[in-house]
Amino acid sequence: MVKKRKILLIDDDRDFLMATKLILEKNGFEVLTAENGKTGVDTIRSAGPDLAIVDMMMETWGEGFSVISEVRAMEGKQDLPLIILSGVDLQGPYQSFEPSEQFPKVDLILHKPVKADDLIKHVKALLR
Amino acid sequence: MAYKNQEGLVLIIDDEETIRDGCRQVLEKSGYDVITTGEGSEGIRIARERKPALVFVDLNLPGMSGLEVIDILLAEIPHVVLVVITGYASIVSAVESMKRGAYDYLPKPFTPDQLRAVTKRGLDHHALVVEAERLRAAQEEMAKDFITFVSHEMRSPLVTVQQSLESLKVVTEDCLSDEANQIIERCERRIRNLEDLVEHWLNIRQIEEGTLIRDKGILNIADILLCSIEDITPLCERRGIVLESDIPEGLPPITGDRESLVRVFVNIIGNATKYTPAGGTISVRAQHDDYHVHVAISDTGRGIPKDKIPFIFEPFYRVKERGEHIEGSGLGLTFCKRIMDAHGGKIEVSSEEGRGTTFSLRFPR
Repeated sequence: MVKKRKILLIDDDRDFLMATKLILEKNGFEVLTAENGKTGVDTIRSAGPDLAIVDMMMETWGEGFSVISEVRAMEGKQDLPLIILSGVDLQGPYQSFEPSEQFPKVDLILHKPVKADDLIKHVKALLR
Repeated sequence: MAYKNQEGLVLIIDDEETIRDGCRQVLEKSGYDVITTGEGSEGIRIARERKPALVFVDLNLPGMSGLEVIDILLAEIPHVVLVVITGYASIVSAVESMKRGAYDYLPKPFTPDQLRAVTKRGLDHHALVVEAERLRAAQEEMAKDFITFVSHEMRSPLVTVQQSLESLKVVTEDCLSDEANQIIERCERRIRNLEDLVEHWLNIRQIEEGTLIRDKGILNIADILLCSIEDITPLCERRGIVLESDIPEGLPPITGDRESLVRVFVNIIGNATKYTPAGGTISVRAQHDDYHVHVAISDTGRGIPKDKIPFIFEPFYRVKERGEHIEGSGLGLTFCKRIMDAHGGKIEVSSEEGRGTTFSLRFPR
């Protein structure tokens, strides 16, 4: 049997986390979840997921950013595929997130809610 | 109570030295900070620099008149409280200065007790005015944050519900009955409506605050119309409505915010699709004269009853039959009207029941 690819979801909205987890699991992925940035970073260190999906707008705006900066600073994680999920922004709900030049490297930005087909397509492409 | 801080500063402008010194002695003994001057212009200079809470102004000053001093101080010093000092003969000018905004007057000669009483009353009034202003500002700030907060708090659960419905479809692996799928579809549609409502509500608020349309640029209206038409064409096709356009070349440019104007047109055309039956036509025409660029969006829908036309730009007003459900936030046309206002433009509607409706938009060149 082929080993399942491991995906880590980091989002402080438990219901959103569950919905996205189900979509990924149904498509043959193993899914780990973290409800805050710190647990997320620890899980990346300890469980070594193949890809991480990070909510940009957790408790504080900075949290998603911190996660990504920290991950990119970790040894051997410079190329870990990272997807940002954004869409709900305190600056105004319909302002989409655009990373500045200083922003650490992310592979993809998706907006909430994300269609199951789109999510799976992008995840598969990044894991190829 | 003593006012030892800047907030309680008292300025006395009087050309009589004995009055100045007398007042200073009395008030300083009561614990107030006092500055005095004999000239109006000097008084204004001091007030600009020190921002006193209370100013006594003698109406009979040499040079600049007391009334002039009052006008300048009231215009320039925030929340300042003015008390005029008048001679017995000048009660008329005391009334005049009160009309201009002075808070109280003190007729000469006055006793130390009278001076203390007027000073206390004036400073109490000042404290009230400052407090009221602080509360007003705090309330305004709260109202602003509230809208941002609420729209965020409303949208987060909406997004989660949408994602959950999406996962439901995946988990059940398309083995749901048609009926079940229709239920999901209805849920999705109503959630989208609610999202639109939140968005429009926030936008209208942003227009009121002047933060939605920040960058106006020189725009090619034909470009905006074509972009809007492209956006809405799939919807028209799905509903079996013909969308035709007549947009001549060489339309003069207009000034405005591209994104919000695209949304205005998409909104109006989208609106027309709701009231136009399959097989109907929606047409978009543009033209210009020496002063304006005109855009007309007409449909062959059922039209709007005459008595309802005056209300269609009102928030949450819908032209619908009893029991009928029309999709949308109920704020779309309100949004369009506000955007047009913000562009110095005009939006009007003419309609004939059973024949169709035309929205006419006019932009200044």
